[in-house]
Amino acid sequence: MQEALESALAELTLGPELAEGDAVGIAAWLARHRVEGPDARALTRDFARLLVYRKLVRGNLREALRATMPRTLARLDSSFDRYFSEFLRVSPPITRYLRDLTPQFLDFALPRWASDPNVPAYLGDLARHEALQVELAALLALPKDHVPAELSLEQGVEFIDAVRLVHYTWAVHRLPEDEDSRVLPEKSAVSLLVYRSPEHDVRYLELGPFAQALLSCLLEERLSLQLSLSNAAERACLPLDDELLTRAAKLLADLAERGALLGKSTPHAPAAGNLLPKAHNPA
Amino acid sequence: MPAMPQRETPEAGQRPALGGIGLGLRWEFLEEVLHGPLHEVAFFEVSPENYLGRGGYYPDALERIAERYPILTHGLTLSLGAIAEPDPRYLSALRAEVTRLNPPWHSDHLCFSSAGERVLHELLPLKFSAENARRVAERARRVQAFLGRPLAIENITYYVHPGEPEMTELAFLRSVLEQSHAHLLLDVNNVYVNAQNHGFDPYAFIAALPLDRVVEIHVAGHQTLDSGLLLDTHGQAVADPVLELLEWTLERTGPVPVLLERDNDVPELSELLREVAQLRELQGRALRRHAERHARSA
Repeated sequence: MQEALESALAELTLGPELAEGDAVGIAAWLARHRVEGPDARALTRDFARLLVYRKLVRGNLREALRATMPRTLARLDSSFDRYFSEFLRVSPPITRYLRDLTPQFLDFALPRWASDPNVPAYLGDLARHEALQVELAALLALPKDHVPAELSLEQGVEFIDAVRLVHYTWAVHRLPEDEDSRVLPEKSAVSLLVYRSPEHDVRYLELGPFAQALLSCLLEERLSLQLSLSNAAERACLPLDDELLTRAAKLLADLAERGALLGKSTPHAPAAGNLLPKAHNPA
Repeated sequence: MPAMPQRETPEAGQRPALGGIGLGLRWEFLEEVLHGPLHEVAFFEVSPENYLGRGGYYPDALERIAERYPILTHGLTLSLGAIAEPDPRYLSALRAEVTRLNPPWHSDHLCFSSAGERVLHELLPLKFSAENARRVAERARRVQAFLGRPLAIENITYYVHPGEPEMTELAFLRSVLEQSHAHLLLDVNNVYVNAQNHGFDPYAFIAALPLDRVVEIHVAGHQTLDSGLLLDTHGQAVADPVLELLEWTLERTGPVPVLLERDNDVPELSELLREVAQLRELQGRALRRHAERHARSA
């Protein structure tokens, strides 16, 4: 009985709405889950009260999404209900942690929003931006006694775990925080370095073309510092001269000072060709 | 539960030394608890799901609060009564967290909150049956052994019994406790809400419980819908009839820690501290009468 009850209540709470007066629908629902005899009669009799659980389950899940993406849900307005219902029906929650519900929802919703002309084109970027804040705020941090290692041209660069390089088509990070605002974002390709500070604040750095290319090589492609510098210069169409090296050194020193960059990525590699004297003590 | 290594089950006999009135720790007032003066709160209770496997500000803050106040852990998603075994990753993370915070017991609910892989994030009622009581008790014993500390099981609110009951709620709860050797986290508001919704006497219900197994009591506010149904919302102050039931209960249990839960429409901390103070007065009165009862019977 318990197994049948679980599957019946999961469908009742997550699946399509079943009206209180729909005797045929209720009977079919019970039959689908092999709930029979006195149990089926009792559930039919108490069906109105059973619907309280549908409201509670959906209310909890909806509130978890609203708490992490308030501006996205406000701008979606009533369209959210349709996507939320479809999400619960097709891709129901599998996480015990409500904070992990948002990425699961976005995996489901983002491709669908992209092909829905009624959903503003910028909304996917806004949702990703809001969700990223929650993700980074909750990521596990490295041990506090981490000793920064000097950077080396031959090695990659180690960043903290709570750092992401993100690319948006719309400048959603400049939108007002106010949920009631309906200001539209500028259509402008932007790259942001998003990181959690040692004080646990999630912070954003808008990157220029060279910084974006350099951090893409270091963070996403995990290239050595030397290769990253040359690739980034090429991608940004800039000569790799002293001026550019100084810019790169300043950028990395700044990131080290902010606590986002830890040092070289291989602790036992030879320390040749240091770009920075000390990762946490930039000159 | 194949991933659970067997350990010796802790004895659920003696009550650990913790008393007074505690408060559910909410992020809304966490800063005040962390940086404010030491409040007259005997302990704080947290839902470990909000801290498990995460880094950042909140676990850091909790660690510092644990240096100032005792912490109890109260889980939400163990899904003790579900057919599927509890997620081993969740259990391992939970064990690490309770080991870190070191509460005298860990508690969760007599319910199911998952269906296979689907997690419903709500406390759903089990059918009151001998088979369910046996199955839940057996799992509770293993969870208790795995966590390495006593497990307290909380009675939930239920708005409908799922199917035709084979026994009463009271008999079901008693059977689970007897077979599992677990403690009871008695939620007095839940008893009251169920009594109103299903038409039984809450005093008789509590009187028939094994009160020597109660290690903690919860109280919270509820809401009455237009239909007359009472909902366990944790969104209001505790109602007067629940306070009366609590006082009557404490007179019979003796010194048991009481937790004030407030999870929705959370007011200023100062308002909650006023409620905590009222509960402390109530507890004092009840414990004086408890002592008098004992003196008389001695």
